[in-house]
Amino acid sequence: MTAVQQNAGAAGLLSLLGHDAAADDGPVVTVAVAAADIEAAVRRLAAAPGARLADLFASGGNPAIDGDPVVLRMVWGLDSDRRYLITSSVIEGERYPALSDIVPAAFTEECEIYEQFGIRPAGHKPLNRVALPPQAGSDFPRLGRPPAEQPADVHAEHFVGGQAFEFPFGPVRGVGVESLYYGLVTSGEELVDLYLFTWHKHRGVEWRLRGRTPREALFQVERTEGLGAVAVGWAFAAATEAAAGIEPPAQAMRTRAIALELERLYNHAAATAALCQSTGLAVGQAAAEIALERLLRLNAAAVGHRYLFGVVDIGGARCGPDAAALRRELPGAYGELRRAADALLGTNSFVDRLEATGILLPEAARRLGLVGPVARATGLAVDARADHPAVPYAEHPPTVATGQGGDVLARFRVMLAEAADSVRLIGDLVEAGAGPGIADLPEGAIGGTGRPAGDGRSGLGWAESCRGEALAWVALDDSGRITRARLRPASLRNWRGFDDACRSQNVFTDIPIIEASFWLTVAGTSR
Amino acid sequence: MPLWFLRGLRRGVVTTRYPARADGSATALPTPPAFRPDALTRELADRLAAVCPSRALARNASVLIFDVGACTACGRCREQAPGAVTASGEFELAATDRAHLVKRIPLLGDETARRSGPTAGQAPAGSQRGQA
Amino acid sequence: MTGETSRGGSVQETAGIQETADELRRSVASQFGRSLHIRTLDTGSCAACEQEIRLLAAPHYDLHRLGFFFTPAPRHADLLMVTGPMIRAFDIAARKTYEAMPGPKLVVATGACALGGVYPSDAFTHGGIGETLPVDVWIPGCPPSPLALLQGLLVAVDRLAGKVRDLSFMRDSLMPDGGHQ
Repeated sequence: MTAVQQNAGAAGLLSLLGHDAAADDGPVVTVAVAAADIEAAVRRLAAAPGARLADLFASGGNPAIDGDPVVLRMVWGLDSDRRYLITSSVIEGERYPALSDIVPAAFTEECEIYEQFGIRPAGHKPLNRVALPPQAGSDFPRLGRPPAEQPADVHAEHFVGGQAFEFPFGPVRGVGVESLYYGLVTSGEELVDLYLFTWHKHRGVEWRLRGRTPREALFQVERTEGLGAVAVGWAFAAATEAAAGIEPPAQAMRTRAIALELERLYNHAAATAALCQSTGLAVGQAAAEIALERLLRLNAAAVGHRYLFGVVDIGGARCGPDAAALRRELPGAYGELRRAADALLGTNSFVDRLEATGILLPEAARRLGLVGPVARATGLAVDARADHPAVPYAEHPPTVATGQGGDVLARFRVMLAEAADSVRLIGDLVEAGAGPGIADLPEGAIGGTGRPAGDGRSGLGWAESCRGEALAWVALDDSGRITRARLRPASLRNWRGFDDACRSQNVFTDIPIIEASFWLTVAGTSR
Repeated sequence: MPLWFLRGLRRGVVTTRYPARADGSATALPTPPAFRPDALTRELADRLAAVCPSRALARNASVLIFDVGACTACGRCREQAPGAVTASGEFELAATDRAHLVKRIPLLGDETARRSGPTAGQAPAGSQRGQA
Repeated sequence: MTGETSRGGSVQETAGIQETADELRRSVASQFGRSLHIRTLDTGSCAACEQEIRLLAAPHYDLHRLGFFFTPAPRHADLLMVTGPMIRAFDIAARKTYEAMPGPKLVVATGACALGGVYPSDAFTHGGIGETLPVDVWIPGCPPSPLALLQGLLVAVDRLAGKVRDLSFMRDSLMPDGGHQ
């Protein structure tokens, strides 16, 4: 499809949804869709080639307000059109059309919405337990009303017929890894199915953010997924800035981008070390860990924290990077990683473990709405820096790295290509000039009135984390405090691809390898 | 495998000698704050407690209670009052008793009150008020 | 190990019993000081503490040179390194992990979340691990760097004396009446 046809497709879509496609809306378009029209709209969007369901969440449904309706929101990435589309629909009653039947990428979110708001898709499909623990009663804190029936302890259908049996593993697992429960379904060595329970690490971050000012909230937001602090913090700050009409200074945006690329670098080094550990190559692991440690020390020298906490601020960046430290230390630290990676790719016993392991097909990646290196390694060129370029990536576009084959090796190669590109980007951003800076907040932006209530006080923010697109949506009240903060780190999107990648043709010992190649966090999905 | 062996030899040893020798890499890292009691009024102490996102600061009468254990070294208190709050530079913070991590910092107000007598509660002229 | 247990309440000790307890603790600690096996437990962290803990085995820090080793098996473990604010849904898993370790054993609370910062005590989390597990050493930080972790482990086995008790976190701490704090 040519760009013209794709654009026509998106514009056509928007007008079909009742939106004036000629209006100049910028990168985010919000359309109200009546509940009765949701299914038709979703079918159209799902059929459009350039559209991807990026998120599904709800707001409203305040139990303290009688009859407060739930508002269901979908965020669609119209990547070829460089826009996000947010549809918002008021749901009266407890049912809405079954979206995951049309778009499987919506399933986890439907389960989450059921637990948090008590509304469920039409039909009788069993819903998984996602965030709330089994002992959570109807008085357990949640964002909306409790569901009429607790989700039974169902998990998505899996087969334990024939020779297969099921055994649980976790949540307390190996050394120095997050708590996560796997249900492994196996016929012995081969993995038939795998399902995850992610409720052990649900800390109620979105619930706790309500009523806070965005600046107070940022502290918690960064610590939602500590290994993605810059990305999630940036998405949240950008959402707040969109809601309040704040434009951060360009040099602060370049600081954010430098921090984001540093985050990408150290995470890819850590993933490399984890890949070596999972394949039993201790020397490779040590080499990657030397690179990782040098990168973390570089982070501390450049912005004052090994994990880049405290760089992003509402309205800009709290501190500027130490350009001299970056120029001095980055080549050596990256060189360490590069040499380790070259040696690894020349080690046949290592490459053999990666090849054809954990294959994810592009159809699966598209169907599940996956993002990041996991998606790019299947050939899908989805990268929020290129698809939705905001300052400074519009002026400093990344080279989007894709792979073929969707196996662990392809994901590893994509990460290495991205690491090299990150070094280039950091160099360019430092040359262009990066420093601290907080925008002057317009009168009444964050505290006080001045903007109309309703959707005018909400905003969408995004950042391409090392794991993929991180999204945030924030709604502010008249005093500038948060009424609803939606955080969607990439981990939340990508764990659903993990079972697909692990199933069939893989054995138990492949699971840690596949997990390392995904390099997700449990914290980011459980929040 | 010989490839890796030679690489390792060439790379050399990067291992820290800690604790036998001090390790300078810790100096670049954020550390919990140190406070100047002669710059801390009650009002400033209240502001610092309000700005701390981790409940590490609280005022109790004329004492600032600083819980090093809850501190994340985020620097917000230091930004609020750079003259009164600096980085302590301490990273060896392990404690065998949780109480060892809770510090009591005396505030300016009461000293002044004790000294000034009838003008108790008012800071003397020329003394530092609030942040630098 | 100290007079105040983290389960609450104080323990009345005669001087003699206290001495024996201290001696026992020191002898246990000196055994651990030569070879210590560490199990890790995540009760809800943001994953940054875990990354620093993993780096303890990395070339820059190499905890093996100090006689410390990681083990995934609770039966082999001497010390439990716990991160996260103790999500309430995790209580049972945490207690089972602790109880699966044979005594004598040590618990190290690692990072600000485990020590009571970042998360308050609410319906989701305890806001710290002190109510759920008996803690021997507390290591502050967000996340604590590998060097801070090493110091914490060495304090746990009595190879280093803790410093923080004697730190005042005050500068220019001369009191106006000439006294010292």
